[in-house]
Amino acid sequence: MLPIILMTMRCFLRDRILFALLGAAGLLLLLIPAMSSFSMRQVQELSITLSLSANSFLLLILATLLGSASVWGDIERRYTAGLLGLPLSRRSYLLGKFTGIAVFLLACCAILAVAGLAVIAIAKSQYPAASDPQWWVILLASAMIGLKYVLLAAFAMFFSTLSTSFFLPIFGTLGVYFAGTASQEVFEYLNSDIAENLSPLVKSCAEAFYYILPNFSAFDLKVQAVYGLPLDAMSLLGTLLYFLAYLAVLLTLSVWLFERRDL
Amino acid sequence: MKRSLFLALLILVLISVTRFQVDWLAERPIAVKLGYTPAAEVQRLLAGEHRLALSEMSVIRVLFYFGSLVDKWRNQIMLPPEYFNMYKTVETAVKLDPYNMDAYYFAQSAFTWEVGRAREVNALLDYGMKYRTDDWYLPYFAGFNAAFFLQDYKQAAQYMERAAQLSGNPLFAKLASRYFYESGRTQLGIAYLQGMVEQERDPQQKRAYKLRLDALVVTRTIEDALSEWRQDHDKDPQNIAELYSAGLLAQIPEDPYGGEFFIDEEGKVRTTSKFALARPVENTQQQTLDEIPEAKE
Repeated sequence: MLPIILMTMRCFLRDRILFALLGAAGLLLLLIPAMSSFSMRQVQELSITLSLSANSFLLLILATLLGSASVWGDIERRYTAGLLGLPLSRRSYLLGKFTGIAVFLLACCAILAVAGLAVIAIAKSQYPAASDPQWWVILLASAMIGLKYVLLAAFAMFFSTLSTSFFLPIFGTLGVYFAGTASQEVFEYLNSDIAENLSPLVKSCAEAFYYILPNFSAFDLKVQAVYGLPLDAMSLLGTLLYFLAYLAVLLTLSVWLFERRDL
Repeated sequence: MKRSLFLALLILVLISVTRFQVDWLAERPIAVKLGYTPAAEVQRLLAGEHRLALSEMSVIRVLFYFGSLVDKWRNQIMLPPEYFNMYKTVETAVKLDPYNMDAYYFAQSAFTWEVGRAREVNALLDYGMKYRTDDWYLPYFAGFNAAFFLQDYKQAAQYMERAAQLSGNPLFAKLASRYFYESGRTQLGIAYLQGMVEQERDPQQKRAYKLRLDALVVTRTIEDALSEWRQDHDKDPQNIAELYSAGLLAQIPEDPYGGEFFIDEEGKVRTTSKFALARPVENTQQQTLDEIPEAKE
């Protein structure tokens, strides 16, 4: 499996994805302190918000494109036919590919997080806030963003093992992202007094989607990072376990489908 | 060669179109510039994890718009502010991010002095106090509004006590006790505005505060002259000019807002401008403001 992981990473480097990411990180460094200075009362907070949002946005693009294109691209270019002719199981190929993507995403997340910390330090030096940023909470929020997009990449790969075209993996992944981000809000709305007149069928369907779809709100620690709010260790542990369990199910399904697919 | 010429021609066309577009975008109506603000619930759903960034961007958009108006007012170009849209945007911003201090700060600076919506602003500040539990600014602003605009001195004292507790600054508690006396109202406004001018970073907002401060300082000067007049006379002067003629004022004071000072039937110093730059469009403004609903959670 290690050769597949290394090959996947090499492909990304060859495609200059890392350079594009470094370019985006550089742009971040330039733009965010300038944009943050527009804030009247929370320059530091705005720089943290923008850094984390930019980190999340760039990783969304990377996770969607890399996760969707990897298996589909290999099949299109007939690499899989050659690779799977070697003494390599389909499961090892798929898991190796995914691990390569996950490691690359986490490395990108780390680069963006470091760039973000530099940006926040610059903004802070320009307009000192009443309290210092909680650096470790910002790092933890960045790590959670990384895990979220590893999970999303697993979804992209799952769709990629299902589909013969590029559309389902791309749009399916984006659909999961938007639905998974909004599902907690919808769930809370359904359980509020405002929604008491909704039909029970609609409520049941929405609740079923809530449990099936990944709940990305659990990975969102932006408010805590930006405003220095306390973190709940148990809920963090719960999110980590949720991530591992969901990922395991998704990868098992992907392997199961890929092993049955005609190539 | 032909291709290069064709490309050069295309670039020229693009530059001309861009130039036209820049002018067109700058001349869009205010309502179009500010845009339609969808309900906060919808925005929360669509923005997802980026709701904090969206909240801040909304406030900055309104701030830019308001700043451009303040500049125009200073040049005597009276444009009616789109207060309803501004208020809805700020209200949405705090629903997207209840911790957003910029939103509360902007509401405090834009909707109290110019519009007189202190009650709605205090409702927003009350909402913010549930989240920003360590922040003394919110009760301080609410206390000032309660005393200065709403003349609810009991409520003002409660807010100021809270500000004093949170900040550890006994000055707020002293201010609270002052609120029980309306006689100190102008001085109170001056003290508040001096603090705001000192700490404001945004140049447009700073200018707006400075203008207001100048107006209150002039008012205070007339009030002092009036007090001196009352020591020697049984009844109030007919107008400000009498104070000047009596040598109690060095000159007839000018209202920085373009109005004229007068003494009302209760003996209070007032001005025809009511300290609002957008006064000439009062009717339009009032119609729009009446649409502002009571702020609620």
